[in-house]
Amino acid sequence: MTTILRTKNLHKHFGGVLAVNDVNAEFKANRLRSIIGPNGAGKTTFINVITGKLPASSGAVLFQDRDITNSPAHRLVRLGICRTFQITSIFMGLTVFENIRIAAQSEMGGSFRILSAKHSLKSVNKKTWEILDRLGLKDKAKVPSNNLAHGDQRLLEVAMALAGDPKILFLDEPTAGMSPAETEHIAQLIKGLTETVAVVLVEHDMDVVMSISDEITVLNQGSIIAEGPPKAIQDNAQVKEAYLGNA
Amino acid sequence: MNDRISETGIDKGSVHPGKIVALLILIACIALFPFVIKNRFYISLVNEMLIYGLLAMSLDVLLGYTGLLSFMHNAYLGLGAYVVGLFLIHVSPSSLWLAILAGIVVTSLIALPVGWVQVRTGGLAFALLTLAFGMMFYTIVWKWYDLTGGDDGLMGVPHPDIHVGGIVLGHSGNPTSMYLLTLCIVLICFLVTWRIMHSPFGAVLEAIRENEERASFVGINVRRYKLYGWMYACMLASISGGLFILYRGYIGPTTMSAFAGAGVLMMVLVGGMGSLWGPIIGAGIFIFIQDYISTMTEHWELFVGMVVILLVLFMPRGFVGLGDYVTRFRKE
Repeated sequence: MTTILRTKNLHKHFGGVLAVNDVNAEFKANRLRSIIGPNGAGKTTFINVITGKLPASSGAVLFQDRDITNSPAHRLVRLGICRTFQITSIFMGLTVFENIRIAAQSEMGGSFRILSAKHSLKSVNKKTWEILDRLGLKDKAKVPSNNLAHGDQRLLEVAMALAGDPKILFLDEPTAGMSPAETEHIAQLIKGLTETVAVVLVEHDMDVVMSISDEITVLNQGSIIAEGPPKAIQDNAQVKEAYLGNA
Repeated sequence: MNDRISETGIDKGSVHPGKIVALLILIACIALFPFVIKNRFYISLVNEMLIYGLLAMSLDVLLGYTGLLSFMHNAYLGLGAYVVGLFLIHVSPSSLWLAILAGIVVTSLIALPVGWVQVRTGGLAFALLTLAFGMMFYTIVWKWYDLTGGDDGLMGVPHPDIHVGGIVLGHSGNPTSMYLLTLCIVLICFLVTWRIMHSPFGAVLEAIRENEERASFVGINVRRYKLYGWMYACMLASISGGLFILYRGYIGPTTMSAFAGAGVLMMVLVGGMGSLWGPIIGAGIFIFIQDYISTMTEHWELFVGMVVILLVLFMPRGFVGLGDYVTRFRKE
């Protein structure tokens, strides 16, 4: 199975605090890898460094064997490294359709067409409708995104990341604040995404993690303490200790 | 739902025919104004409204569409005006279009490095940098006596003929001719800007306004597009500067002061940002109030301030918000 992205001895420190400590991780095509760990383990910092939100302190990020360490976010998105945020980040003043369309347009081109109308890019519109359809947001296309329910806003953010035609998709706690029914829906949807992309999931809901992950990486205090399929992680003594403490 | 995947957007983008008719009637009224009201004073007043309308509209490109606050956008009106004035004095007193072109080119060349620095920041830092650069330009213009005439201003700027394709249509020293030239140029700038802001390019600027971080995480080079927005806004401002010096034949450094800059910002807020036409109306209201009250008291700023406070409190979305209110009322 081909490796899409890997990190080599990746470090990130804030002053004296090591948030990411010598992490070597590998993400493969069509696989769903979850990153778990107690609060403050460095999960979000780790993906922030990979996706270009934060600069690395040392080490490297390789995308299809190409060094992309500290590239600006917009360039990484063009390469196919897309993400969602822990705190919903969408274009609040725009409709659901416009939110996805701008992401599709930025991927497919046409932003320099200064003399045509916004809605004139046919292939961009088509792609937007396809994604709306795929995520079940079609009926809400015209709704201003700030009027959406929280669960739908989370879904919209996933839709925007998909519009960037990702090769690897980082999802930072997509089920945060969702109802059990919504969680179940989005979990199945995330599982389905692996048909086309590599998915990296940072998640606190262990039921979701254990049911849909192919592999799990456990971080504690910035370092990987365990890696493997869900069953092995559940039985791992070190993981239990990290979560429960030395009892 | 089994319907085929559509290739059309949800926004048809077509403008309601009623709006086009209303706009045409408005333009006709403004165009006929100098032939009905022959008073030079009023013609000049409306001319000034149109020039500041263009400047306020250019600030709206930054504030209303890209989400960038410029405290001293009048600096770029000033630069454009000085360049056009100096061109007419020192290079060629009769080349109207070349002078305006020189104003655009030189102002853009100055705005480019300034913008390059500014777009590295956002929010408050961006706004403060516009203030810093603006005050720098103000001081240079004020102190460089030999070139700009210092606080006496640039005087004796010649009035060239207004010619198109070799045919002389009028003289820029004639209030009515100048008025019609201003109207034509402002109208063209408005239509072109409206088109650009409603294009896929405009959609990128709006995305940056709504959420800069998300914009870069959908693959937009935020700094570069902010620079495009900035350059376009400065270019429009320099055109308003060219019209300003042609109409007045004079410019002084106070036009480029921070105080005047705040006035332009008020025009945008009073009119309602993010609409392009709102700020033009705002400029009209602002200049009317300023002019009307200054005939009664020299402390006119006090009253302009009060009017702006009332408008912000009771019409927070400006004049444009009033239009939405009427539309909603009609639907109910």
